[in-house]
Amino acid sequence: MSDDLLMMLLADARLPVAGHTQSGQLEAAVRSGLTADQVPVFMRSRLASVVRVEAGTAVVALHRLRAGLPLEPVLDAWAARTPAAPMRDTSRTLGRALLRLVRRLFPDSTHVAEVAGLKRPCRPLVLAAAAATGGIAPTSLGRLVAYDDLQTVASASLKLLPLDPLDATSWVHDLLPEAERLATGVAPLTEPHHIPAPSAPQLDLWAQTHAHTTRRLFSA
Amino acid sequence: MPEQTTRNTPSRLILTESERESARSNEPTRHGLTSERADSTPSEAARGLRIGVCGPVGTGKSSLIALLCRELSADLEIGVVTNDIYTDEDARFLRSAGVLDPARIRAVETGACPHTAIRDDVTANLIAVEELEEEFAPLDVVLVESGGDNLTATFSPALVDTQIFLIDVAGGGDVARKGGPGIERADLLVVNKTDLAPYVGVDPVAMVSDAGSVREGRPVIALSRTDPASVEALVTWVRSELTRHRGGALVPADPGPMAPHFHAVGTSHTHEHDHQHA
Repeated sequence: MSDDLLMMLLADARLPVAGHTQSGQLEAAVRSGLTADQVPVFMRSRLASVVRVEAGTAVVALHRLRAGLPLEPVLDAWAARTPAAPMRDTSRTLGRALLRLVRRLFPDSTHVAEVAGLKRPCRPLVLAAAAATGGIAPTSLGRLVAYDDLQTVASASLKLLPLDPLDATSWVHDLLPEAERLATGVAPLTEPHHIPAPSAPQLDLWAQTHAHTTRRLFSA
Repeated sequence: MPEQTTRNTPSRLILTESERESARSNEPTRHGLTSERADSTPSEAARGLRIGVCGPVGTGKSSLIALLCRELSADLEIGVVTNDIYTDEDARFLRSAGVLDPARIRAVETGACPHTAIRDDVTANLIAVEELEEEFAPLDVVLVESGGDNLTATFSPALVDTQIFLIDVAGGGDVARKGGPGIERADLLVVNKTDLAPYVGVDPVAMVSDAGSVREGRPVIALSRTDPASVEALVTWVRSELTRHRGGALVPADPGPMAPHFHAVGTSHTHEHDHQHA
């Protein structure tokens, strides 16, 4: 079976993994003045920074799961490249959410069991376990991480800003080539120190600010 | 790792009344349930009872939870999860009510999707419940408050073991008659704020009677926090659900999605038939 259908399942917004609680820092950005027409730039900035880290982490974890190499160095490399504590916390919580589902889908997977045995694995590691079990290729895994982030922000933007949903989906569509570039860029990575280490201090600041607000629609 | 298993759910979510009864009588075997990680996870009956509280905005969900904490926290270990539209409004109300250790009250963000968070993707709420249960083990009861939604929103049986649906006299005397899954089939229906009835021109006795006629014998409590007998009735119901849960006899039953208010040929109903059917 091709990996297409499993990819579609994992990319579906209806997946019960708490995706509806996330805005990818968009809520904090809007609160600090980001406007509707800046959302595509915001999405592109994420692809250039935090999403590259997440996608690179997922791909390296996939390689190491298949090669039987330990995953702790991947988790450490991801944490070192994710300086904002609330971002790490969010990814770990979403990892826990995804793990609930992945354990149900692949109860006999040794890859899933290995990731479940880690202390608070981040979301890319859980996705990598699903990919390793379901035969998803590294490039496809990178596409999945990038696409999910685009749709997370697009979907949240409709709750936060006065937008036409057709516009939001057009933005996702227009950024697909960028997502593809990201996926092919990280696909060959195999070592934790290969994981890209870009910096996006404004996203980090927004994540930290958001974690301390008392009135918010989204968890992060 | 400390994470608990995914909550076991019935293979089919909607049980008929006879299936509920048969499931209860077959205790402790639990209807199509399997355990993923029996080694590390307490059985359903060993963990605390998870009670959902839902109903339209302003019917008194937070107050009811504060009331339960006040009445029960002397002898039961309690945790609370709230889902507000703007997260932690309800959590802050409960913390300021001083009825429970603030650390035991968690707010869950729903991304402006309160219905989704208790129904089609309960993940964020389940994680909050599990974290409370891990941190304050052993908890006897976890109360999950839905974000105020509408008459069609009910909890998934994957999230709570039993659920209370709230309406109030100030919402209008005809609300109970209009029905809906929560009003008709929640484990308990509370008609709240009966002390306000004279001021809003509603007859609470008729309202409770309307509710009773659509609920086929399921319990209804007319509640006012100024009426000790009604508070006692609520507390008694909660304790009896806890006893059934601990005995393995409580099987989560789904009030179901919104169903049209219809009457099959040959069935009877007891309320006045003076309203339009959809």
